Amino acid sequence: MASMAETLLELKSVRAGYGDAVVLDDISLQVTQGENLAVLGRNGMGKSTLFLTIMGFTRLTRGSIEWQSRDITRLASHRRARLGLGWVAQEREIFPSLTVEENLTVMQRPGPWNLKKVFDLFPRLAERSRAMGNQLSGGEQQMLAIARSLMTNPTLLLLDEPLEGLAPILVEELAAAIGRMAVEQGTTIVLIEQHADVALSLTRRALVLERGAIVHSAASEELSADAATLDRYLGLKLESAGD
Amino acid sequence: MLGPIAGILFDGFAYGMLLFLLSVGLSVTLGMMNFINLAHASFGMLGGYVAVTLMQHFGWPFLATLPAAFVIAAAVSMVLERVMFRRMYRATDLDQTLLTIGVVFMSIAGAAYFWGTVQQPVAVPDYLSGAFVVAGVNIARYRLFLIVVALVIVAVLIAGLEWTRFGAQVRAAVDNQRMARGLGLDVDRAFSLTFALGSGLAGLGGALAIAMVGLDPGFAFAYLIYVLIVVSVGGLASIGGSFVAASLLGISDMAGKYYVPQLGSFLIYLVMVGILMWRPTGLFGKR
Ligand SMILES: Nc1ncnc2c1ncn2[C@@H]1O[C@H](COP(=O)(O)OP(=O)(O)O)[C@@H](O)[C@H]1O
Ligand SMILES: [Mg+2]
Repeated sequence: MASMAETLLELKSVRAGYGDAVVLDDISLQVTQGENLAVLGRNGMGKSTLFLTIMGFTRLTRGSIEWQSRDITRLASHRRARLGLGWVAQEREIFPSLTVEENLTVMQRPGPWNLKKVFDLFPRLAERSRAMGNQLSGGEQQMLAIARSLMTNPTLLLLDEPLEGLAPILVEELAAAIGRMAVEQGTTIVLIEQHADVALSLTRRALVLERGAIVHSAASEELSADAATLDRYLGLKLESAGD
Repeated sequence: MLGPIAGILFDGFAYGMLLFLLSVGLSVTLGMMNFINLAHASFGMLGGYVAVTLMQHFGWPFLATLPAAFVIAAAVSMVLERVMFRRMYRATDLDQTLLTIGVVFMSIAGAAYFWGTVQQPVAVPDYLSGAFVVAGVNIARYRLFLIVVALVIVAVLIAGLEWTRFGAQVRAAVDNQRMARGLGLDVDRAFSLTFALGSGLAGLGGALAIAMVGLDPGFAFAYLIYVLIVVSVGGLASIGGSFVAASLLGISDMAGKYYVPQLGSFLIYLVMVGILMWRPTGLFGKR
């Protein structure tokens, strides 16, 4: 088990929620450099809340969060981002009064990713660079949300259902792009995804959330072959699992 | 017939530019942080007293007092923001209203204590006083000066917001504060700077206002009303909206006083009610 790679993110017995409502309880997890992680679970189980908690947008009432062995439990959200945490929100949250290019550059930080690289990854964004953020299709918004986060050159990228609501052809294209960016620039990814087959193929490890707790944790390859577990927690029968 | 109409348009526009300078800062900061700062016009009043004091007691020329009014209003607002307002960003609207209305009362009492309740005498320099006539329209030099200053500031503000990275960050924070933070923007700091800039502009507006509308401790309240009207009519976080709203209100105020003196300054409220019934989020507002 002991890996030489650096532990990027570690949650220890975290309890968090909104106001007085507790959504996540006793969450402990580790993300290691280069070891992409899938977070699975049905709707409303607390997956997005997990990302919001890592970014410091929820009320954390117990436990701690460490980033590269440094305690960030009480650190302001923008400081977490500057330490190398990238977050792509489920709702995409493009800035409507900024152009596509401004969305990309407004918070860019130096590193391997720059305008040229993200335009290579998503050529569609280059064509639309002068459009306003609120003039984009769903797929374009999703690409922009990912590209905007890449422009901050994160060490770890939290992707919240990046394939949600996209046409099948776009799902494939975007999944391929996510795989490429992980490999090419060594960005580690934590991926929340309803398309469990895609998520498992892009990651090394997976965990399943149910009602705010981690109920299953496995190697992605193992889980994708474990039809019973997938069916039990996600209610899915994966085609690949039957092969 | 053209004479009075053009004259009213000119005077009203000049008055509107005063209202613009006094209110544009509040429009942007309210849109950015939803922080209800009723003390905004107090910074305008501060700018007025700074200008008067520097001229009367220190013999500064009028033009030199304008940047001083900007800087001092900006600096004082920054201090208040740090020690007081910052704690209230997540407070309820009522708490923010109560705190900042308290600051308004304190500013009025403070002004009365230091400067007395009398109208402050203001002498504008010779080259800015008097008037000349163009095509039958009486052009007061001072009002023309006011218009030019305001137009330059509008251009600089719009260019700054549209073309600089800081401007884009302000727009991003207005659009979606949480996402801006999530990407690494120190929203509180951006707000603090925007807040100081807006208060500084109010201070400049106050310094420019006194020669036209006078100055006494009632300024903070009297202009608070106008500032709130401009912000609600123009829409939140819209420089263009504030500009149009302020012009419209300045002109309708002048026209009202000229054509229907019975209504007096009441017309401005009718205009506000009419526009807000037509567009509840203001002329250029998104929410
Ligand atoms: N802003 C919020 N305030 C209160 N409760 C929320 C909020 N956002 C989500 N929740 C609740 O938290 C639970 C988990 O939601 P979420 O993390 O969005 O789930 P998932 O992403 O797995 O679909 C749900 O019961 C949801 O109703
Ligand atoms: Mg979700």
